[in-house]
Amino acid sequence: MKSLLSQPVKVVRILGALGIIGGITFFYYRILSVNNVTVALSFLLAVLAIATRWGLIEGLVASIASVLCLDFFFIPPIGSITIADPQDWLALSVFVVTAVIVSHLSANVRKQAQESTHRQHEMERLYTLSRNLLLLEVHGHMGQEITNLIAQVFELPGLAFYDRTSDRVHRAGPQDIPLEGSKLRDTALQGTVFHDAATQTTAIPISLGGQPMGSLGIQGSEVSETALHAIANLTAITLERAHAQDVATRAEAARQSEELKSTMLDALAHEFKTPLTPIKAAVTSMLSDSDMNPTRQELLRIVDEETDRLNSMLTGAIQMSRIEAGQLQLHRSPQSLRKIVQTQLARLGESLEDRKVSLEVPEELPRVSVDPEFIGIVIWQLLSNALRYTPPGSPLTVRASAGETEVIVSIEDCGPGISEQEQRKVFDKFFRGKDQRERIPGTGMGLTIAREIVRAHHGRIWVESEPGKGARFSFSVPRAPRES
Amino acid sequence: MTNARILVVDDEPQIRRVMRTTLVSRGYMVSTARNGEEALEKVREERFDLVLLDINMPGIGGMEACRIIRAQGDIPIVILSIGNAEKEKVEALDAGADDYVTKPFSMPELLARIRAALRRSPLMSPGTPDLLNLGKTVINFVARRVTVDGTEVRLTPKEFDLLRFLASNPDVVIPHAKLLQAVWGPDYGEEVEYLRVFINQLRKKIEPDPSHPEYLLTEPWVGYRFSFPKKG
Repeated sequence: MKSLLSQPVKVVRILGALGIIGGITFFYYRILSVNNVTVALSFLLAVLAIATRWGLIEGLVASIASVLCLDFFFIPPIGSITIADPQDWLALSVFVVTAVIVSHLSANVRKQAQESTHRQHEMERLYTLSRNLLLLEVHGHMGQEITNLIAQVFELPGLAFYDRTSDRVHRAGPQDIPLEGSKLRDTALQGTVFHDAATQTTAIPISLGGQPMGSLGIQGSEVSETALHAIANLTAITLERAHAQDVATRAEAARQSEELKSTMLDALAHEFKTPLTPIKAAVTSMLSDSDMNPTRQELLRIVDEETDRLNSMLTGAIQMSRIEAGQLQLHRSPQSLRKIVQTQLARLGESLEDRKVSLEVPEELPRVSVDPEFIGIVIWQLLSNALRYTPPGSPLTVRASAGETEVIVSIEDCGPGISEQEQRKVFDKFFRGKDQRERIPGTGMGLTIAREIVRAHHGRIWVESEPGKGARFSFSVPRAPRES
Repeated sequence: MTNARILVVDDEPQIRRVMRTTLVSRGYMVSTARNGEEALEKVREERFDLVLLDINMPGIGGMEACRIIRAQGDIPIVILSIGNAEKEKVEALDAGADDYVTKPFSMPELLARIRAALRRSPLMSPGTPDLLNLGKTVINFVARRVTVDGTEVRLTPKEFDLLRFLASNPDVVIPHAKLLQAVWGPDYGEEVEYLRVFINQLRKKIEPDPSHPEYLLTEPWVGYRFSFPKKG
């Protein structure tokens, strides 16, 4: 502010200082006659006041004028710039030194006071800015609002803000500052402050965590560099906040839509199961009647089987919707895989009757840390898949082996196998093998469910197959911590 | 048990219809209720040998109805529900149910479970004493009564049968499957969570300190053991 003070003001002040010294001289010389010490002290007081109020130059001018007036009008020989008494020489010298020191000191004090006022003012503006930035309603494109706000709070004649996300330059204030968009972009990307002394323009980068977000350009030196950096940081935080909120809003919307879909599917599946219950009860009740004619029995058996199929499709849909809604809650505890496999084999019961199933799961297999209900579903899915896609009567092998940290379970069949192309897709939702789609019933959800359950256990699931030589589906689950 | 009276509680009319038709054809006497409140009313007015109870119903719902019926007496309760999660089964057993059947069910299976719930295990096996004095807890196997500190404790039939089977084979580890088959019936064996819930309930009723059981001991991964108190 001081350096920009216009020349005429300075001249007027210097003239004013001279006038004050002249006034004092006139007063003591013509109106009130006092001793020289009083005159000297009065001059000193005036110098002090002038230096404090107006600054160093004015103070020094006043000091010199005081010395000259003191010598000319009050120290003998009066009316000349010469000094007769050596003692007066000493007194005048002391006065000169004192006046200069006083004006220097008071000017310093004044400068410091001015600077601290300035800094305080800047702090207040930074605070206002930070508050207003926080109150800004967050949305995707708030670059122009931020620019307007900074220019308004700091009363800047011109401000440019380059937002890297939108790759746009926003400008605010009455003047257009002479900074090209490309210069602002370079500043943002290089992350270094750019200063042009000729046009008095400064561009500083805005970044957060080393990530360039944009840059700010201003003209003049109204705002200190510290404040400028603070503004840049505030802008960075505001942009980041907007970005985070944007991401969160989008994720929340996606999650809500997924959740809604799942809830509806879940409710729908439950609704469908309600009429299935009396159908199943009625048909099984009739089937348990032993003296029924074979045709009727066969027809009822078809109704029964189809009821089961519809039911397992609905169960799959419910499981799928829960998994997709992120509601898979595992209750993990140390479990015996052999037992889980046996339970599932028992569940499949009759459908395994014509199969030779080799169970190669050692008794001493270490326990695994799983939710038995869900891992049971995985094994059941893999087993029933193998039953469905392999010719009746062909053998199956269930194998398990322990590694350092995990146990791997494999279910091998001797079916037609899966082509390499289809192997990549078998775990995808609703994917069904090209050749099987027509012939074999299924929903295309089973393996997806199995994969999601295994993933929730931090395990892997995969398939190995050579067309014509059967397929092997395997998954891994973590071993339980050793029992002490 | 022929002529047993069964109360079917379900808000779905078609389910009530099919249950009534089938059960009546098997010689049971059937009453129906459309919700929990109606069921409670019927249980108060008439005597039933078994309640088949749906969980998901408007009003107080099956779980709450189960708790209230159990608090009033020891009538066997079989839950019929669409929910298949273990959590729900355990909750139902904790509420006092004797068994849990997932909808849709096959009728022969449900009939087997009804028979199991109605069945009281044979009055006495040869090795069972008439009276078992455990100190504070006294079990009278003939009168099917248990007293703790002189106060009678009410056990449900299944709880009593479980306790009797374990007490008849003291200091022997009985595997889960064997216990289930002995108490519930030959169609059972996988329902380990039933044992967990019923043993916990028994411990609360007869153990001096249920969290540090003295009589009903768990053998991890295998089964349960009745520890006979040391004399002296």
